Order: sequence, then C-alpha cells, then structure tokens
Amino acid sequence: MNEILTQEKSIYIQIKEMIENDILRNILLEEERVPSTNELAKLFAINPATAAKGVNLLVDEGTLYKKRGIGMFVTEGAKKTIMDKRKKHFYDDYVKSLLAEAGSLGITKDELIKMIQESKDGGMGNE
Amino acid sequence: MGVWEMSNLTAKGIRKTYGKKDVLRGIDLNLESGKIYGLIGRNGAGKTTLLSILSAQNPASAGSITFDGRPVWENQDVLNHICFSRELNQMNGNNANAMKVKEYLRIAEIFFPYWDKEMAKRLIKEFDLDIKKKISKLSKGMLSMVTIIVALASKAEFTFLDEPVAGLDVVARERFYALLLDEFTETGRTFVISTHIIEEAADIFEDVIIVDKGKILLKENTQELLDRCWHISGHEEEVDKAAEGLETYNKERMGRSKGVTVFLKPGQSIPKQYDVELQKMSLQKVFVALCGEES
Repeated sequence: MNEILTQEKSIYIQIKEMIENDILRNILLEEERVPSTNELAKLFAINPATAAKGVNLLVDEGTLYKKRGIGMFVTEGAKKTIMDKRKKHFYDDYVKSLLAEAGSLGITKDELIKMIQESKDGGMGNE
Repeated sequence: MGVWEMSNLTAKGIRKTYGKKDVLRGIDLNLESGKIYGLIGRNGAGKTTLLSILSAQNPASAGSITFDGRPVWENQDVLNHICFSRELNQMNGNNANAMKVKEYLRIAEIFFPYWDKEMAKRLIKEFDLDIKKKISKLSKGMLSMVTIIVALASKAEFTFLDEPVAGLDVVARERFYALLLDEFTETGRTFVISTHIIEEAADIFEDVIIVDKGKILLKENTQELLDRCWHISGHEEEVDKAAEGLETYNKERMGRSKGVTVFLKPGQSIPKQYDVELQKMSLQKVFVALCGEES
C-alpha cells in the first residue's frame, strides 16, 4: 500500500491494484480489515470519493466485503481469485506487448523462447 | 458528521460587468455539500469574481445566488454558512494591511459564528506564524497561511479558498492538502479551491469546474473527465484513422509523427486496430488542451 501513484492509470484503478498486490504478497491477509477510504485518501492525498471508487470495484468483484459499522475486509479465497483473474489477463497484459517489442526488434519466437528458458529470473522452475 | 442537512448553493444566470468589461457572462452552477471542488481557469477568466459573488461579497450585475432556495444577498442566516477566505494582497490599499495578524484573526472570529479558536491556535503554531506581525510585513508564504487559517477555522459549511497555495513552498503545500483532507474527512464541509497549480491538486478534487472567459466551460467528476481524455500519437496516417470522428484538440505534428488529444463522448472508444500510442492525460494537460488556444 505504500507505492507511489503514477500518471499512467486512473487513480482509483491504482488503488484497486495496490490492494490486490498487497493481498497477493500476503501484506493483507484474508479476513483482515483493509484501510478505510478516508485512511487511503489521506495516505495518498486523494479525494475520498476516488479512493471509495477503487475499493468499491473490489467489493463488486468479491475481493472485499463490508462488515457493517466496522469496515472493509478481505474475502476468504480472494488471493486465489485475484491470481486466477490475473492469469487470464497475463497473455493480453504481458505476452502481447513482449511479442510486439520482440517483433519490432527482429527477435524471433525461437530466440524469445530460448531467452525465457535460459533466464535465471522469476518463474516457478520446471519441476 | 451530520451537523447539517445536505445543502445546495446555486447560481443562476450570473453576469458581472465592470464598466464595459464583461467578467462573468452567464454562469449557472450548482454546488452540493460534501464535496471538494477545484476551480480552474486562466488569469482573468473570472474565478475570483465568481467566488466573491457566490459569497455575496460582491453584487452580481444580473442573476441570483441561492442557498437551499433562499437568497444569499444580505441574508445573514445564510451567510453564516459561507466563508470566502480571500487572497491577501499587499499591493492594493486593503484595510487588512495595517492590521496585525492577531487583529485580522480576531475580526474573522467575530465574523464567522462557528469559528474554531482551538484550531486557529493549532494552525498558527503548526505554521510557525508570528501573529504580532503586520499583514503588510508578511512574506507571500505567510499571507497564504493566514488565508488558510481563516478558511479552515471558519468551520463554514461552504468554504472558498482563492489560490490558497500560491505563496507556499512545496512542503507547505503538501501539508495544506493533508490538513484539508483531514478537515474534509472529519466534517464533510464543502470546499471550492481555485488554483493554478493544477497538477498536484487534481487528485484532491472530486469535481472540477473549468471557467473560461467568464463562462463555465465544464463541470465534471475529475476521474470521469480524465477517463475520457486520451493522447494519441504515432504515424500521422494511423493517428488520423484512430481519431476519426472523435472530438480532437491540440494537434501537434513533427515530420510524419502526429499527436492529438481526444475527448470521448459517452459510448465512444478509440478503435484498437491501429498502431498508435495511447496515453492518459493529466488534468493540467486536459486544461491546456481546452483553454490553451491563444485568442
């Protein structure tokens, strides 16, 4: 939750994705309370209505739920839901742009696959 | 906090003429309680005049201002809920200049029935403001601080700040936005803030009001406005195809490369099949695209 806001995306989308990232990285745990919209507004110096817009998107997707009078909480199973959703978008969000850039640089698919296989960064390994 | 009911401050057909100059040329505006509005416009667009008329510090040449249907002009009951903390100006023969800060705040305390003395004290300390100094001897930053203290401590339901950060350094400006958000989240008071420093204040505004040449050019939720503004760039031919039929501003061209700002209307989108770069725009860029044409 301590990332810095950028210009490239709508702020409420960034707030939404930050909360998702924190859930993926176990910074926010399932059934744990997330900061209130007022807390988020003050932390990022943004209008509370904008913070609420991001939080409400997560409520609509079932990632967060409201406990009346207490606040917003992370839904049980939210982490897996976010992972599944992002896996679905992985091709569009990452592979497409990777292939486009490789294409304009004249890197072939075979060369790209070789790069990935020889890479020591990231991934889950082959076992 | 629910101290007050939902209120509306409404301007209808406001015109203001100084001699032969039309400063406001027909303003219709509704301000709802519980929002932070940003008021932006070029120098001379009429922002300060509009704020002074909304707060009945200045008579309109035509039109009406009402607060929940009741006229604002010479109506003390209503004016108790409105504060316009003016930018202090040492250049004109303002009565305030001869006063000490202490005296100026004392007058504000008498003037605003919901004045929060504790808050004023706390802010004086926080800003490290010497209240024994005369207004005419204050630095630009200190003048801004006095304006901010009056606005926040007035506790008025509708509070207008005219260029509150103009004289402040960047650290003090960020502090001001934090104070404003603290007060807003605690009380839900309505703030209208005029500023030329659009970039850093944009995220604070729920709605933005753009004034241009004495008229309201646009009043819209800031995020929704930004969601429909895009900068398209790339090869001229591709850009032209992608922007065809859309509302465009600010075309720039360099060789075969072209950049253009588009404002999408509801239901419109930018076709995806063209090889162009799409970028989101800041409120400042949107403002320049709308009002930047030299006339």
